[in-house]
Amino acid sequence: MISGALLTARGITRRFGGITAVDGVDLSVREGEFLSVIGPNGAGKTTLFNLISGQDRMDAGRVTLDGRDITNLAPRRMAEIGVARTFQHGRVFGNLSVMDNVLIGCHTRLKAARPRMPVIAPVVEILRALIRPASVKAEEAAMRAEVREILATFGDRLTPRLDQPTYSLSYANRRRVEIARALALHPRILILDEPTAGMNESETAEMQGIIADLKAEGRTILLIEHKLDMVMRLSDRVMAMDNGKVISEGTPAMVRNDPKVIEAYLGHSTIGGDEPAEASLMPEAGLQTAEG
Amino acid sequence: MDAILALPWFDFTVSGLVLGSIYALMAVGLALIFGVANLINFAHGAVFTVGAYIGWTCAVALGLPLWASVLLVALGGAAVGALIEVIAIRPLNRQSRIAPLLATIGVGLILDQTVHMIFGANPRPLPVAMPAWRLTIGSGSVGPIDITIFVTGVIAAAVLYGFLFHTKLGMAVRATAQDDDAAKQMGVNIHAVNMAVFAIASALGAIAGLLVGIYYNAIDPNTSFQIMLKGMVAIVIGGMANVPGAIGGGLILGLIESYGIALFGASYRNLFAFSVLLVMLLVKPNGIFARGRERQAEPMTGTFVTQSKPIRLPGWLLVLAVIVAALVPFAGKPYVTQVMTNALLYALAGISLTLIAGTVGLISIGHAALLAIGAYASALLTIAGLPVAIGLVVAAAVTALVGTALAYPAFRLRGHYVAIGTLAIGEIVALVILNWTSVTNGSLGVYGIPPLEIFGIDFFSTTPAYWLVLGLVVVFALLQTRLLSSHLGRTWRAIREDTVAAETYGVSSNYYKGLAFGFAGFTAGLAGAITAHQFSYINFDTFNLLTSVLLLTIVILGGLGNVAGAILAAILVAGLPEVFRALAEYRMLFYGVALLLLIRFRPQGLLGSG
Amino acid sequence: MTFPVLTRRALAGLALAGALAAALPAGAETSGDSVTIGVSGPLTGPQAQYGELWKQGFDLALKKINADGGIDGQPLQYVFEDSQNDPRQSIAIAQKFISDPSIVVEVGDFSSTASMAASPLYQRGGLVQFGFTNSHPDFTKTGDYMWSSSISQSQEQQVMADYAVNRLGLKKIAVLHLNTDWGTTAKNIFIEEAKQRGAEVVATEGYLPDEKDFRATLTRIKAANPDGILLESYYSDGALVVRQIRELGIDLPIVAVGSVYSPDFLKIAGDAANGVHTVAYFTPVSPRPEVQTFIKDFTTAYSKEPNNFNAMAYDTMNILAAVMRQYGTTREDIKSGLGQISGISSVLFPKVSFDPEIRRVMGLEPTDLIVENGQFQLYQ
Repeated sequence: MISGALLTARGITRRFGGITAVDGVDLSVREGEFLSVIGPNGAGKTTLFNLISGQDRMDAGRVTLDGRDITNLAPRRMAEIGVARTFQHGRVFGNLSVMDNVLIGCHTRLKAARPRMPVIAPVVEILRALIRPASVKAEEAAMRAEVREILATFGDRLTPRLDQPTYSLSYANRRRVEIARALALHPRILILDEPTAGMNESETAEMQGIIADLKAEGRTILLIEHKLDMVMRLSDRVMAMDNGKVISEGTPAMVRNDPKVIEAYLGHSTIGGDEPAEASLMPEAGLQTAEG
Repeated sequence: MDAILALPWFDFTVSGLVLGSIYALMAVGLALIFGVANLINFAHGAVFTVGAYIGWTCAVALGLPLWASVLLVALGGAAVGALIEVIAIRPLNRQSRIAPLLATIGVGLILDQTVHMIFGANPRPLPVAMPAWRLTIGSGSVGPIDITIFVTGVIAAAVLYGFLFHTKLGMAVRATAQDDDAAKQMGVNIHAVNMAVFAIASALGAIAGLLVGIYYNAIDPNTSFQIMLKGMVAIVIGGMANVPGAIGGGLILGLIESYGIALFGASYRNLFAFSVLLVMLLVKPNGIFARGRERQAEPMTGTFVTQSKPIRLPGWLLVLAVIVAALVPFAGKPYVTQVMTNALLYALAGISLTLIAGTVGLISIGHAALLAIGAYASALLTIAGLPVAIGLVVAAAVTALVGTALAYPAFRLRGHYVAIGTLAIGEIVALVILNWTSVTNGSLGVYGIPPLEIFGIDFFSTTPAYWLVLGLVVVFALLQTRLLSSHLGRTWRAIREDTVAAETYGVSSNYYKGLAFGFAGFTAGLAGAITAHQFSYINFDTFNLLTSVLLLTIVILGGLGNVAGAILAAILVAGLPEVFRALAEYRMLFYGVALLLLIRFRPQGLLGSG
Repeated sequence: MTFPVLTRRALAGLALAGALAAALPAGAETSGDSVTIGVSGPLTGPQAQYGELWKQGFDLALKKINADGGIDGQPLQYVFEDSQNDPRQSIAIAQKFISDPSIVVEVGDFSSTASMAASPLYQRGGLVQFGFTNSHPDFTKTGDYMWSSSISQSQEQQVMADYAVNRLGLKKIAVLHLNTDWGTTAKNIFIEEAKQRGAEVVATEGYLPDEKDFRATLTRIKAANPDGILLESYYSDGALVVRQIRELGIDLPIVAVGSVYSPDFLKIAGDAANGVHTVAYFTPVSPRPEVQTFIKDFTTAYSKEPNNFNAMAYDTMNILAAVMRQYGTTREDIKSGLGQISGISSVLFPKVSFDPEIRRVMGLEPTDLIVENGQFQLYQ
């Protein structure tokens, strides 16, 4: 148990039939720290995140947040204690507007609309939704104002599309909505799974800027990314996985030059035949020159 | 206990296996289609019926030898199956999962009605010269046809299994099932594959119809839905896409029914079948032969609602519509007023179903159960002396509570399984009402339900009753619309769109589904209760599966989740058949065709889904 | 801004609806000259086969009635509205008939559920509801416009008990019955009647109308060791039961209620029907001329022999025609006429008169039958 850690995960294991997708992984993040998890496809990164954030049940291991055990806690309880995550291919509510999508992020913070009383809560909740006393109206207005603020941080990408259903948005915009929704939860820790997957260069750069801003706000962030340029720029620490195990951990510079990591990528990037792929860990143009 | 042990268990086992092989034969075809096309073919029962009648035509009318009849039945069945795929399934592509469900219901209706119109409704014998020997087993016996049915099922499953796993075409079929885009890329002609699968499955279904018709020596056009349901239970037991498992599933179902009858009596047969179905869905949704905890497939997201924007009706138009509606009795035609009252009662029930199936995305084919609970509650309470006004409200509240509790098992289900699960729950409620004689009077029904009289004011005459129902429709439409524009609306829709993502953001989907069922249950219970007082007599069959299907049609016609749409659709669905009364024989045919056209050309419904 | 398009479309829809409402026929298409009976019954849906049987009976009767000059020169006809045996439709049809002045009496619906839902309307609307197949004990209680010539269950079950217990000497009877209001009432009354005659009902099993497979049920019944089986069934389900009883090797005597009396029962049950005891309310060997004429005419017209449902429908037309000829053709005439008519005979009833208290007909004269060589024969 690392002192001062916000989130600690120890011995996380998940098996599927004969395959061990995640094998005794340890992970910890301090408050305000930016930790990235990298590794070739199939390394178990998303599975690890699913296990930590409660989307999947682990076969062994323990997770704590603020020292409190949250192992295998249901996702909605995770949300209540401030764990917000985005999904690998982006999961927005297609038929809901941008505004409604992000408002769902506020769900755990609704106090006036959502009574917390035993037994009669459902009836009261319906009555409050029908009658809409002043407190409920005020709360809704406040939430909406806040959503507008959050969306404004994306420039004019989302604000003009506030009332449009998200299925009509571009892929990049949908992923931005996802991030906005996560922010609306007022997260203690933000877990991002490949937020720039499928984006082109300029979109990636924009997203990178947004995430950098989030980091600058002092947020605690867990990131999975394949774009190693971004990983190296943003991260305080990096963790590399392969075949379900952690193969390297440390500062970006340390991990980048770790021969085990290089081999993992090279070995895996061989597609058929024995030809090794390009001997470079940084396929994105620009990084080689930047880092020298 | 001694009495139970003394029962002739061996005989029950034999009869269970014999019956089970019939279910198995149906199930194999259903499993094949589900495995490949990922849909439940609700027309399979009608194919069974068509097969029986083709068989009758060949064997009895034309006097052909048995082998020729079987061949022609198989070919006929295959042709019908291919037609179903081409006309009803293929044009839908992958719009939404609900589309094939309704499309196959529509096709089934058309096939049934066609058979009815050609051959009449009277059951007719199917006498085929069979060898007269019987094999004595225990204190009973089986004959050649029993063996034939069993052997046909096993051979069909074995052949299909071999075909699917050991031939190139079979591999193509399985590839298409897994990922038809990829299969297409690999050069597989997925249209041909789908058509072939439907043809094979339907040939099997048709042969089943012939064999079973010979077995019982009776065929009639009304068996389709029942046999289809049993086949469906069998594949849930055996694993929905598991072709050889379907045999096991069918046999197990036959045994369960047989043992259930042994222990409790014949009137509990279907109760057992559907209870087992429900338990399987909850405990072992992949069937009894599935191994281990399988990896969660990416849950289906928003697959039931087509992406569309609801049409917003301007406020003045709605006010105008209500005024016009209120003036209907002044046209001086009580018949029209009565039809409109019926329509508005459907509308009230439709409003409640559109919340559950449309807004929350739980496609329920058991909604009639809520109406029944409300009806019985109010009937029994008011007969016991409670004033009608109070009886209505209490009945609605009871329905909200009981309905939510009953529906709760279905909350854990996703996709098709919700539809099947709610179907089972609906049937179970009807059967409990039938068998709980001490409370509900069983098959005798409840007579003498007091007429609608609220605080001494007559609401049972045609016009006041109409205004009462109209008033309730307006009130509940407004209430529901208000709920939909609150945080509840977006929360419910989020659950529908992507339950996993919603849970990730703190939404307790069970709680909110319960909330929806509570409100919808209240509305539906009220609709059922008013109906009971109108009819003055109800029994377990007053609110049945057909009612549930009709309500679902109304909801989809209007646009899933669309309140105004549900009302408009109810008026059309209840009103149009009255207009076409002169064409009585063709009404059901029109209904089936209309369903098909609706799903094909306007799946988002008249006013768009919300 | 989608308003303009939708407003237009919505208005068009409203206009269409309005036009339809105006175009809805106020009543049946009838010529001013004829006397019209309104029939509410299943032409489609699960009970459609019974609607077909009704029509056969109605048509045969009307041919004769109109050949004999109709009702004082006016032709008698009927209008058949398809209710699908659904109470919602039967009440809509009730409204239609009540507000159509040319309809002077209503016939149907098939099941008690459909009929009794409409009864309050007919009672308030002052139109006689003649539910000739509604044997539910509460049917006529709704009001004095509810009349029925259906086979009385109390009488029918007395006959059954006489046959099974007194004639055949059965002492431990197993009863298999349709789990409907008709079948359950029949079973309940039979149990009483059997007890009064010193026999015991050792097992009862109720089955739903669409049930096809009875093996397990029959195995359970067999385990109760009855010395005979009694069926409260209709003809198609009864035939299935009988067949499976014999297929299971159960040799016990079978007594079936009179609704199985139908050529379809014999056809579907095949050889298994031989030896089944039942009761007929009309037989080819009946001395009464109206029975002879009916059977002969029916067989000629439809190439098959008539069953009870055909006979009841035929009788209904004749009874109503007789009432109209004697007492008049207004709605009130018919109501009061039903209360007074006597002395006419029908296929089922040698003497038709309605008990004024319960508005049903008494006086069936059943004949004991047994099936032999694929035919219904008198049981001596």
